[in-house]
Amino acid sequence: MSTTAIGRDESTMWEVTSRTVVYAAIGAALYAVTAQFSFLLPGTANVSLRPSFALVTFFGFAFGPLVGLFVGLVGNAIADWLSGWGLLTSWNWSVANGLAGLLAGILAYSLRDMIRNRLLLAAVASALAVIVGFIFVFTDMWLGTADSFSAALADNYLPVVISNVIVAAILTPILVAAWEPVRESMGR
Amino acid sequence: MNVAPRYLGRGSWLARRDPRLLVIGLALFVFTVIQVWDLRILAGLAVVAYLYYRSARIPFNQVRLNWGYVLFFVSFVVVTNTLITGGELRGLGAADLHVYFRLPLIGTPISAESITYAIVQYVRFLSMAAVGFPIAFAVAPGDIGPTFARLKVPYKFAYALDLTLRFVPSLAADMQTTIDAQRVRGYEWEKIGRGPIGKLRRTIPLIVPVTINAIVGAEDTIDAMDLRAFGTGRRTWLRELAFDRTDVLVLIGFSLLLVATTVLSQTGHTRLWVPQPLIDLAG
Repeated sequence: MSTTAIGRDESTMWEVTSRTVVYAAIGAALYAVTAQFSFLLPGTANVSLRPSFALVTFFGFAFGPLVGLFVGLVGNAIADWLSGWGLLTSWNWSVANGLAGLLAGILAYSLRDMIRNRLLLAAVASALAVIVGFIFVFTDMWLGTADSFSAALADNYLPVVISNVIVAAILTPILVAAWEPVRESMGR
Repeated sequence: MNVAPRYLGRGSWLARRDPRLLVIGLALFVFTVIQVWDLRILAGLAVVAYLYYRSARIPFNQVRLNWGYVLFFVSFVVVTNTLITGGELRGLGAADLHVYFRLPLIGTPISAESITYAIVQYVRFLSMAAVGFPIAFAVAPGDIGPTFARLKVPYKFAYALDLTLRFVPSLAADMQTTIDAQRVRGYEWEKIGRGPIGKLRRTIPLIVPVTINAIVGAEDTIDAMDLRAFGTGRRTWLRELAFDRTDVLVLIGFSLLLVATTVLSQTGHTRLWVPQPLIDLAG
């Protein structure tokens, strides 16, 4: 059985095996551990680059949408937990991260006939996944974290999408390029 | 690098509760708080949150930085919300505001209403954080998997959650090993690159090897699970959870708060309330 989303067909993409469970757990733990590496984007007040976010789109792209969903959802919650913000305090942001991972996995499958170059496919799928997945942070309007649409857009959506698109479009193809030869040598 | 979850509330009244109570309680409390803009009601909810937090007996000196982080984040959200909304507050028009002064350049009115609104947001967020903190510090990390499994989360998801928490310390150790190994080769994480792309490039020698090593190393875990026939039947958990009478009473309390607040909200009693002294200040 192939382990990459690219090599899967529709019937196995949603299958949950021991491999899915372990890759999801590894990805979420890695995301939580590496989330400490972040830095402010020059010239902005609140846009910080979090390189570890690329793990969400990478795991979604390489191991399927369910793994991506778990890595984003649980990884972000545990990263928040470890930083002291609380496991479920910003649950809607964890869901947004999860959606980005889920979409990266779905897009890896659905765009593969259009974009033959895997690294380009990884960059495009990741960027689109972030742009669409993070629409969920507009729920901050309902939760009271953002008072209006303009506040949610300017404070929440745009900063996170800009920084995560930069990170995902650059680092996801690099991770895919590093993983593909290893995967082939392992016979997966 | 020590990033293992900290079980600081060990032995406290809240830590002795069924961990499902902490998760359900937080969900009920969040849905309660987000309906309220009246500072008087919120003050009551804040007292409930404080007492609940105190019952977890989390030593403050151990979480001082965490609370500092929360305060910084909340302050950022409150200030930017106040500036960006420009005085359009919860259905109040410009004529309803009791303005003190306008901010230079952007012209945002600072009024009795916007000050109250900012205080309300502080109280809301801090109350939610106070009820959320015990999940982080008063639930044994080993109980997280069974907790979600008993909350009817699919057992494979709950198992993955349990596995994640077990992987965190070992992957943190791997990360530190990689940092040390790269340092020996002349790489210094602290000497961060120039520009966003340069900064991102500096993280590649850390993130890529740690990720690929972790994935390759996962094969042992996968084999062990396959050999034990994981996924072929329904899984049981060694740790058994059961609500006792106190747990049920606390849950009923949280539920009643939600019901009462919903009724108040539907009848228009939870809207923004501005203290008279703040209105008087506007002259």
